[in-house]
Amino acid sequence: MNFDSYDLDPAVFDEMFGADGTPHPHCRDLHDTLGSMSSADLGAIGEWVTRSFTNEGITFTVYGDDEETERIIPIDSVPRVMSAGEWADLTAGLKQRLSALNRFLEDIYGEARIIADGVIPADMVRGCPQYRLEMRGFRAPHGVWVAVCGTDLVRTNNGFRVLEDNLRVPSGVSYMLAIRKATKSAHRLLYRLSRVRDIENYGLILARTLRELAPEGRSDPTMALLTPGIYNSAFYEHMFLARQIGADLVEGRDLLVEDGYVYMRTTSGLKRIDVIYRRVDDDFLDPLVFRPDSLLGVPGLLHAARLGNVSVVNTPGTGVADDKSVYAYVPDMIRYYLDTEPLIQNVETYLCRRPDDLEYTLDNLEHLVVKRVGESGGYGMLIGPHSTPEERNEFAALLRADPADYISQPTLALSRAPCLIEGRLEPRHVDLRPFILTGAETRIVPGAFCRIALRRGSLVVNSSQGGGGKDFWVLDD
Amino acid sequence: MLSRSAAGLYWMGRYLERASHLSRLLRQQTESLADSPPRDIYFGWHRIYGALDREPLSGALELDSDDLFALVDSFALADDLTFEPTNPDSIRSCFAQGRENARQMRHHISAEMWTCLNQSHLRLQDMEMQDIWVRSPENFYAETAAEIDTFRGVTSSTLYRDDAWHFVQLGNYIEKVQLSASLLMAQIAAVHLFEVPADAYWTSLLRHYYAFEAYNRASSAAIESDRVLGLLVTNPQLPDSLSLSVSQLCNELAAIGPGPDTEATARTRSQAEYLRQLVGIEWPGGADGQALLERIDDGCRQLHHLVTKTYFDYPVLAPDHGRADRHDQ
Repeated sequence: MNFDSYDLDPAVFDEMFGADGTPHPHCRDLHDTLGSMSSADLGAIGEWVTRSFTNEGITFTVYGDDEETERIIPIDSVPRVMSAGEWADLTAGLKQRLSALNRFLEDIYGEARIIADGVIPADMVRGCPQYRLEMRGFRAPHGVWVAVCGTDLVRTNNGFRVLEDNLRVPSGVSYMLAIRKATKSAHRLLYRLSRVRDIENYGLILARTLRELAPEGRSDPTMALLTPGIYNSAFYEHMFLARQIGADLVEGRDLLVEDGYVYMRTTSGLKRIDVIYRRVDDDFLDPLVFRPDSLLGVPGLLHAARLGNVSVVNTPGTGVADDKSVYAYVPDMIRYYLDTEPLIQNVETYLCRRPDDLEYTLDNLEHLVVKRVGESGGYGMLIGPHSTPEERNEFAALLRADPADYISQPTLALSRAPCLIEGRLEPRHVDLRPFILTGAETRIVPGAFCRIALRRGSLVVNSSQGGGGKDFWVLDD
Repeated sequence: MLSRSAAGLYWMGRYLERASHLSRLLRQQTESLADSPPRDIYFGWHRIYGALDREPLSGALELDSDDLFALVDSFALADDLTFEPTNPDSIRSCFAQGRENARQMRHHISAEMWTCLNQSHLRLQDMEMQDIWVRSPENFYAETAAEIDTFRGVTSSTLYRDDAWHFVQLGNYIEKVQLSASLLMAQIAAVHLFEVPADAYWTSLLRHYYAFEAYNRASSAAIESDRVLGLLVTNPQLPDSLSLSVSQLCNELAAIGPGPDTEATARTRSQAEYLRQLVGIEWPGGADGQALLERIDDGCRQLHHLVTKTYFDYPVLAPDHGRADRHDQ
């Protein structure tokens, strides 16, 4: 297997090769190993990895797809590798960012100093659909509003950039672990020789984090993972994590609130719950507070949380901090709360609510990525360079009708990594979602869910839109 | 254990037992297609459909003495019971539902159990009757039954013996008792209908329960219906007898421990003991035997209802009146 037909583009950072075409020092072992393998061998490994996912039923669900609700995420068996030094820099930046975001949430639902000081416009925060008035005055345990964060990072020739912070119910960590298990087994010798840092203790760290956030006096808390149910796209992950942390996997119908305490219905009667790792969106969490038609939530849950009788992780209302408009202010939050410069930069962002930014966006649609503020999963966006004139006209009309609902960003040259495509190693664009956990302290396992845009030239990495995943190895020094 | 999880595991046990039972019946039935006269073939179908309390998609079964018709009918009937998507009791439907329950309860079962079940489900998912009919349908059913046996072995080897285990087993035994009572009643009805008490009809029943050798050991007499039924109902040493299944069911119920309502728990356990008494008496034969089977069948349905009300779907009492505080520290 060789890289003869591997297409290097100097405008795009390659995760394996430097600009001169030689492998990065930390990628040499992987490069040499791949070079010594036949196409058939590598193909067999790829098939084995995919088959192991099929047999183990590691699936995600696609909304609105009546024919097949369970799908296997396409897995590429060639790992992406990072040096220990690069990882250390990244983790410092990620911890810094989450610290500021937690301070921001504590602030805006409390004194709102950042607004009073004019750092961020009041209407941007309070007009955000994810801002929850009901959470004003709420005291999150240890000030931790976001205990589980999945930050999307991309790399360009100018270094890493944060694409977005996922602060509500970030998903993908089960794929990180499942892909590691399969890839480790497939590349046994290389894995051992490369001294890859372990991520298997993610479940233990998550459980520890959740326990640290338990209500006062509950030293051995009962934990539950609240899922919307089997039709949720991430149900496999919910089940997987419940098992990892030793929690019961509950649905709203399993729970009830009595006298300000949350109980689950067990075969021996009602049992009090202390910590709920919720994977249900705010809107559906508590029909008495949020959407009254929700059947997925628990009436009275917010009341119990406000009394401090149960910890809900992540705290409702965190979505305001990962809003695509508010995102543009995260570097300012870091400066404001931590009095330091951001270690990882944002992607340059134009807020279409500003007339100048709107005009610039409309004038440069063919060069920009336009995103609807409230959308996620790669939906509701225009990728200018890949769009047709009709699509640009359609988006221009949308922008003019409701500019505050959109942001735009330059089209980034996302880095590429070698992937096995139809028996050949070809570069594909990738991103990275590490998971940051905050309880009494902040911890990050040395790994991430690395998403791939499998279609040649595509920048869309979302699994719901044809993206895949690959293992991500952080090497020891 | 979370009530919904317990219910899911219980139903997983039930669905897989149903799939296993039907696979074994169909294995035997398709084996008979090679050399049995059409009358015996139709007897077998009557017995199966009678036990399932189902009418074939094509309408009521009618005896056709033509060999070819018997085979063509058999293809359609086997398809109805194996792959028919509208039949909730077909083997594929039972597998799909058992697997779906397992999928929802994966955090309670071992990874090995899940993989084993998922692989069987994937094998069945894209198959059609034509695929198995042209080769060896009896092998297909034998393999399917063996896969469920493997799953049970994996379960036995890997599942922690907590309530998850006990609810899987409870579902399995309740289903087994109910299916067996139904099959024995269907056997008696089919023998009456065909008016020829042929030994073959009773030996095939013994073989279904892996009881032929046990019968020969226990009885030197020729095949007699009441002796066969007596063995299958009351013998506590026969693995699939009603007696042993009920006894195991009672053990599982005792291991689960009380539900939140003491009275409901007592009623459930009393019902199980009542079933134990029914299968413990000497086989009465004749009309009394038929009545006994009906009581067992009915008693088992009652037990299912009581288990549901005691553990899965009980009325919620306010915590002060219930037992919530016993978990608090």
